Amino acid sequence: MSDSSTRDTQWPRFELFQQERPGKPHVNVGSVHAPDGEMALLNGRDVFVRRPECHNLWAVSARHILAKTAAELAAEEALPDELVPDEAAPQLYRIFQKTSQRRSMNYVTHVGDVEARTAVEALELAQERFDAANVFVWWIVPVAAILVSSEGDVESMFQPAQGKTYRQPQEYRTFTQMQEIKRTTPS
Amino acid sequence: MSEAAQLQQFEERIACGEKIEPGDWMPEKYRQQLIRMISQHAHSEIVGMLPEGAWITRAPNLRRKMVLLAKVQDEAGHGQYLYHAAETLGISREEMIDALLEGKAKYASVFNYPTLNWADNAIIGWLVDGAAIKNQTMLARCSYGPYSRAMVRICAEESFHMKQGKEMVIQYAQGTPMQRQMVQDALNRWWWPTLMMFGLPDSESYNSPQLIRWGIKTRTNDELRQEFVNELVPELLALGLTVPDPELCFDEESGNWIYGPIDWDEFWQVVKGNGPCNEERMTARRQAHEDGRWVREAMLAYAEKQEAGLAV
Repeated sequence: MSDSSTRDTQWPRFELFQQERPGKPHVNVGSVHAPDGEMALLNGRDVFVRRPECHNLWAVSARHILAKTAAELAAEEALPDELVPDEAAPQLYRIFQKTSQRRSMNYVTHVGDVEARTAVEALELAQERFDAANVFVWWIVPVAAILVSSEGDVESMFQPAQGKTYRQPQEYRTFTQMQEIKRTTPS
Repeated sequence: MSEAAQLQQFEERIACGEKIEPGDWMPEKYRQQLIRMISQHAHSEIVGMLPEGAWITRAPNLRRKMVLLAKVQDEAGHGQYLYHAAETLGISREEMIDALLEGKAKYASVFNYPTLNWADNAIIGWLVDGAAIKNQTMLARCSYGPYSRAMVRICAEESFHMKQGKEMVIQYAQGTPMQRQMVQDALNRWWWPTLMMFGLPDSESYNSPQLIRWGIKTRTNDELRQEFVNELVPELLALGLTVPDPELCFDEESGNWIYGPIDWDEFWQVVKGNGPCNEERMTARRQAHEDGRWVREAMLAYAEKQEAGLAV
C-alpha cells in the first residue's frame, strides 16, 4: 500500500451531502477524491449533480467523520474512553442517521445537531436526544469541518442540470415507438 | 463472540434483508469477493468510456453529440460511485488504479471490441447497456449497502443510456438502406460479445452458489442471459433486423428464445488480453493517468500549502 502511495496520489476522500430543496435534510450521496474542500464541492457537483435536483452541497474530509453501525455499538458495549482535554471547548456536531433498510441511492440523513466537546460525547448525547430505536448507522461530523456551497453557487453549479432534459429517460419515447412498430408489422 | 457465531449472525441478517454496512463484521471471503467484483465493475465503467468516447467528435448532429457526451460523462461518474463503494471495504483508490494499469485487474471484456461505425453507439446503448442493466438491477438488491446504493444510482442513469441507443436503432432500422445496413453491421458484431457479458454458463460458474447465499448475487448468469434474449429478440425482429445466430429459435413450451452455442474460446482469448483492442484500451488508460499526474501532484501541493498557511 505504501509503495503505491509514493508513486501516485488520488487525493484524500471527502464525503458529500446533498440537499434537494430548501427545507429538506442533507443526505449522504457518496464520496469524491479532491485535494481540498473547495475542489471536493466541484467534483461532488460533477459526480452527484449531473441531474436535478440540488440546492445545496456539503463536503467534509472523511477523516473528520465518526461512523458507527448499530452492530458495532452493540458489540463494543461502551464507546471507547477518550482523553478530553480540560479546556476542550464545546463545538457543534451534525448528527446523521440511517434508519431504513429499504432500497435507496442515499445513505445517512441529517437529523439535527448537538453541542459537545468530542465526537464520542456528541454520539452519546445524540443517542439520548434523538430517536435511537431504529438507527442502523450513526455519523457524527463537526460543523467546523464542513464546507458548504453558497446561495450564489446555485445558479452556476446546480441550475444548468435542469435544462439538460436529454439526460432523462422519459425524454425518449422508445416504448410507444416499439408498440407502434409491433402493431403495424405483420408477424 | 466466536467466529462461527458471528458468521451465523451475519447470514441471519442477510436472510432477513438487512444491509451489511462499512464497520459491520463480515467474513473475509465476502470482503474479498466484493472488492474483486466492485473494482472490476468500476474499471469497466472507466474503460467503457473509450469505445464511445472516440465518436464524440464525429456525432452526426448536435443533439446526438450532447447525448453521447452526457452518456460518457455518466460512465465516468459510475466509475466514481463504484470506486467509492470498493474503498469502504478497506482497499485504497491508488491500489485499485495501479492494479488496472499494471494489467492485474480485469474489466468487462466487451470493451475490448472496436467501434467501427456510428451505429455501434446505437447498438452499444441498447444491447451492452441493456445487458448491464439486467446485472445491475440484480446487484441493486445486493446485501452490501454501498454496492447496492451505487447500483440504484447507476440503474436510474443507465435507463437513459439504453433508451438513447434504442431510439437510434429504431430510427436507423426504419431509415435509408445505408442506415439499415449500418445498424445491421453493428448488431452482427456486438450480438455475441453482449451475450458473453452475462458471464460463464451456470454449469461452469463456480463462484455463483456462495455469492447467491450471501446475497451478493440473487440470480444466475444463465437466468439473466435468457431473460435478456427473450426481451430483445422480438423487438429486433419487429424492426426487420437479423439476429446473427442461425440456430436461434422460439421454444413454445418454455416460452424461451433458444440461442446457439456461445464461443467461450473467444471469450477467454479476449479475457487473456488477445482481443482486438485490449492493448489500445490499456495504452489509452495509462496515457491518461500519466498525463494527469502533474495536475494531481500540483493541486495536492497547493492544498497542503494552503492548509499550512504558506500560500500567498
